[in-house]
Amino acid sequence: MWENFAAGSLALFSDPFTVAIFVFGVLGGMLFGAIPGVSMLTLAAILLPFTASLTPAQGVMLFAVIYCTGTYGGAITAILFNIPGAPENAPTAFDGYPMTRQGKSGKAVGAAVLCSAIGGVASALVMMAATEPLANWAIRNIGPPEIFALVFFGLAVASSVGGRSIWKGWMSVLLGLIIATIGQDPVGGINRYNFGFTDLAAGIAFVPAILGFFAVSEIFVQAEKKATGKFDAPKVGMSFPSFLEIWAHRIAVVRSILVGFFCGILPGIGATLAAFMGYGEAVRWSRDKEGFGKGKLEGVISSETANNAATGAAMIPLLALGLPGGALTAMMVAVFQMHDLEPGPLVFYNSPELIWIVFAAMFYANLSILFIGLVETKTILYLLKIPFQFLAPMILLLASIGSYIGRGLVLDVIVMFGAGIIGFLLRRSGYSIPGIVLGIILGKIGEQNFAQGMQMVHYDLGTYFSRPICLILIVAGALTLLAGIYKAVGSSRSTASQ
Amino acid sequence: MGNLTRSHMIETGVWLAICIIFFVYSFEFNQPIEIYKFGATGWPRVVLVLLLLATIGNFFYLRTHGSAVQKGRVGIADEDEAGTDYSDTGAVMKVVGVLGTPFVFAMLLKPVGFYFATPFFIALIIFLFGERRVKWILGITVLIYAMLLGLFMVVLNAPLPQGNMSPFYDYSAFILTLNTQLQQMW
Repeated sequence: MWENFAAGSLALFSDPFTVAIFVFGVLGGMLFGAIPGVSMLTLAAILLPFTASLTPAQGVMLFAVIYCTGTYGGAITAILFNIPGAPENAPTAFDGYPMTRQGKSGKAVGAAVLCSAIGGVASALVMMAATEPLANWAIRNIGPPEIFALVFFGLAVASSVGGRSIWKGWMSVLLGLIIATIGQDPVGGINRYNFGFTDLAAGIAFVPAILGFFAVSEIFVQAEKKATGKFDAPKVGMSFPSFLEIWAHRIAVVRSILVGFFCGILPGIGATLAAFMGYGEAVRWSRDKEGFGKGKLEGVISSETANNAATGAAMIPLLALGLPGGALTAMMVAVFQMHDLEPGPLVFYNSPELIWIVFAAMFYANLSILFIGLVETKTILYLLKIPFQFLAPMILLLASIGSYIGRGLVLDVIVMFGAGIIGFLLRRSGYSIPGIVLGIILGKIGEQNFAQGMQMVHYDLGTYFSRPICLILIVAGALTLLAGIYKAVGSSRSTASQ
Repeated sequence: MGNLTRSHMIETGVWLAICIIFFVYSFEFNQPIEIYKFGATGWPRVVLVLLLLATIGNFFYLRTHGSAVQKGRVGIADEDEAGTDYSDTGAVMKVVGVLGTPFVFAMLLKPVGFYFATPFFIALIIFLFGERRVKWILGITVLIYAMLLGLFMVVLNAPLPQGNMSPFYDYSAFILTLNTQLQQMW
């Protein structure tokens, strides 16, 4: 492994143009991740046509680097503005934004920098050491029933955080699942819920939906506060977390790395579910459950470690099986195809130099988060000093551009602002916006894998329970749901007795 | 009626309407799929039934607890819990303005185009957010417009809506021609 890594590093740093692309990817991912309203996906969508003029290794490496640094960059907007740069940063906002309001933005961003780097580097190392055996394990043990079971578990976890009550948590997730059914059904390609609009046959693109629910709804919330005189500018805090503070959460870091890696390795699941499950597990094992959501450093640490730990792992199904784990890895498939390559087991034998340049670049990109991130953070915290009336139009326009660029449809911009209004109203009523977004992202994956799984087991649901991984995940999901019901009933009884 | 308020009744009504409309509309695409027993409607209908059950559960929760946060819930930001006083008509108008302006902007993108509509949109949003100093509104509008054009048009060559109505389309063409000439200078 080390010889290959050294060869990949040499190939990466011996060519000035490749180095320039690497640096562009690192800075571009961080910048687009950290600008509220756009994300790494916006940058990737803009750059996709240009990768045709690069070599395959440079093209794939550029996207892999953007994936690593962009996943971290999105945490900054989640912490400073309550606008996650990407869905995988949504749980970071649960505690990161309250920390900003308490004047601890430096601590939250510092923890995000450090834990993103730790999660990403650990993931890159495991990816380099074990891509082939892990891919083989995944081929043998992971099928549609397991992926469906993980989606079920993930949605159960998502419903348990964010809403004002367990019912609102579930309703948020279920609304996301219903939105995901708009467009063609994943088995027969039959148009569903297009309500006469032909553009809706392609479904609701998740980038405009995410930007609307997260970024636009937050602008509307702040607008409401301004109008009603409740606006309170967030405080800039420059103190970074100490080593001891991070060390105190070492178990949470290790747990999130494991959770993130497991989620990342499964095709189609990716970093978003990893972040939710990392956060959910931190809540589950914590003695101070009530402190989560009110500015607890462990919340930021768990979520950011898990989502970056998934970045390296997400490359395993992509490179070894040709299965993308999310939107950005799906674009990487397009880069491969532009150069007449197909990601899959043969890439390891036909283009080993490509694989090791990408692995080395991901390792260095995660490492650079630590150094560039700490410098960048000091600068970016001053964004909080810009008056919100000047920041708001900028965010709305960047979000409009980010929505439009993906498919070139004005409808996507309209959908984004529509999602913004719906998100604003739902937030006022105590529903969980991250729950809706996770429902939208996982809905199609869940339905597709459920359908494939049912066809595979000849509609015998009992077979699901005879598969160990599937059984564990379904039982874990069911227990999470039952725990929610138990708490809801307990809460009702205590109110009744009062 | 317990702790139910009029807004709780409206909230429940909206959710029930979503369930009913989506369930009824599912008959529009109720076609069998040869290779899949549950067809195109199986999954959405199950989700809708679960949504209906959760709506009923939520209704009873609201009746008992009102809008209170359930004990032990995590990840709820403080501001989501705060009620807002809408007794001031001016405040209502401002919020409606902020909610409506981006929507109007999005609807105008196709006929008018991004290049023409954007400066007006920026200035209006700054105004709606409470800025009243004309020099600041104009200055920041020009600055944001220039930054966006610089990044997305000049540096990244991103395709943005140009409009399809004259004279707006002509304005977009003029801006793009300027960009081409600028790039040829390099």
